[in-house]
Amino acid sequence: MIKLIDLSKIYNKEVQALKDISLHIKPGEFVSVVGQSGSGKSTLVKLIIAEERPDAGKIIIGGWDIIGIKDRELPTLRRQLGVIFQDFKLLPKKTVFENVAFAMETCGFKSSEIQKTVSQIISLVGLKGKEDRYPDQLSGGEQQRVAIARSLVHKPKLLIADEPTGNLDSINTREIVDLLKKINSMGTTIVLVTHNKDVVNGLHSRVITLDNGQVISDQSQGRYLL
Amino acid sequence: MINHKEDIYYKIMINLFRIFKFAVQGFFRNFWLSVVTITMMLMAVLSVTLLVSMDYIKETTIKSVENQIDILIEIKPDVSREDVENLVLEIDGLDDVEEINIISPEQNKVLFLQNNPDEKVREVLDVYGDEENPFSYSLAVKAYKLSQYSNIIDFVNQEKYSNLVKTSDVDTHEEIIGKINSIANFLNKYSWYITGIFLLISVIVIFNTIRISIYTRRDEIMIMKLVGAGNAFVRLPFILESVFYALIAVLIVIAFAYPLVNFIQPSLNSYFQGDQVIDLVGYFRNNFVEIFVYQFIVLAILNIISTSIAVRRYLRV
Repeated sequence: MIKLIDLSKIYNKEVQALKDISLHIKPGEFVSVVGQSGSGKSTLVKLIIAEERPDAGKIIIGGWDIIGIKDRELPTLRRQLGVIFQDFKLLPKKTVFENVAFAMETCGFKSSEIQKTVSQIISLVGLKGKEDRYPDQLSGGEQQRVAIARSLVHKPKLLIADEPTGNLDSINTREIVDLLKKINSMGTTIVLVTHNKDVVNGLHSRVITLDNGQVISDQSQGRYLL
Repeated sequence: MINHKEDIYYKIMINLFRIFKFAVQGFFRNFWLSVVTITMMLMAVLSVTLLVSMDYIKETTIKSVENQIDILIEIKPDVSREDVENLVLEIDGLDDVEEINIISPEQNKVLFLQNNPDEKVREVLDVYGDEENPFSYSLAVKAYKLSQYSNIIDFVNQEKYSNLVKTSDVDTHEEIIGKINSIANFLNKYSWYITGIFLLISVIVIFNTIRISIYTRRDEIMIMKLVGAGNAFVRLPFILESVFYALIAVLIVIAFAYPLVNFIQPSLNSYFQGDQVIDLVGYFRNNFVEIFVYQFIVLAILNIISTSIAVRRYLRV
């Protein structure tokens, strides 16, 4: 699903965010990427979604080497990935339905298809009945569910979750993690970037630990080491 | 093949519809931001409309003054009608002369009496008696342009006409016309500078208003990009929204301008003593396209350029 080969990112001479990282994530895996602040987790996500470009190495997603990706190819890449962020990144002036539908509307899907898919996904993430609410009328957990719903409308093979529980309380955190597990059970590969020890230890899945821009551990049934 | 073509056609139509829908949504859901942006544009359109009106008033006033000006060439006493007519023929031969009229001594006497109702002044004529007329011929000469009077004056000031024309009177005319001419030139020249400065200020205000408006919505643009929207799909609703701003600003100015000029017109009429030299209502009615449609087109183009530049910055995600 994802292959990272000798990936490096240098912001300036003093700050090398990633150093020669090589990883292989297989289809259907649920992988947690852990590490303390400044370990390079967020940089890794930015490189995978092509928000930033690496200084060296290769990133291959579904057989597509995205290193030399052109600006006009970015939408195509991002429509194949689902991404959720710590700060939800919802469009504040659009309703729940419109936020989820937007990702499909940009691709020119038919309105009837959008209506059907969005309604199904909103039900899946447990927000049925709240379609007409705006993000500021929802709790943090609900906002993250909207973000998850939006990331799923394209039926991506890969979902990248960058600190999705960072702004949530323990109950909402558990609900979001359960939702991610459910999505993974349907066949979607999930890369969960987090520094939440309880979440990682409760997953009993592969854990990649980053420290100072390098992979210091990669365990198939791992635990939070730091 | 047909299905493929239909698909493309459908996609283009649905995308255009959605771009329009997002623009309308953006406009109304960011209502106060739209109000502020439109207000700033309103100021710019109002300034330009005011400038256009002032320019019309200035032009009309100068023209009106120019039309009312002629020079009166006084002929020396005892010059015969035949000599006067010969002089008229020669002056009329100049390219600068639009019209020339002979005022007879009798007409001059009547004019004097009309212009001087005061009995004491009229008594001056009593010393001559009813039979004798102290007035001589004079010529009322009108040029096409203010600047041409100097040529006419130079012409009649020639030595060969010194036995016909009272030179000192002609020189006084030259001085007055010269002053009026320089005031007109001054107004024309500086009104262009003022117009230019106002236009520049308007352009800067509009450009920065759009930039601030886009800046406040920069996160929206970046989120759209991150969820897979193409550049055009993000940019076009913002561009269309900026055209709505231009349209509404111009419509508001139109809504206020016509009642306002109708309100002002009577004051202008009474100031110009009922001659209705300045027909502001007629000017606005006859120049709707030049004043408002052109302003909308220029403003819309300016907004499109400003929005494209402002949005481009946040599309690099």
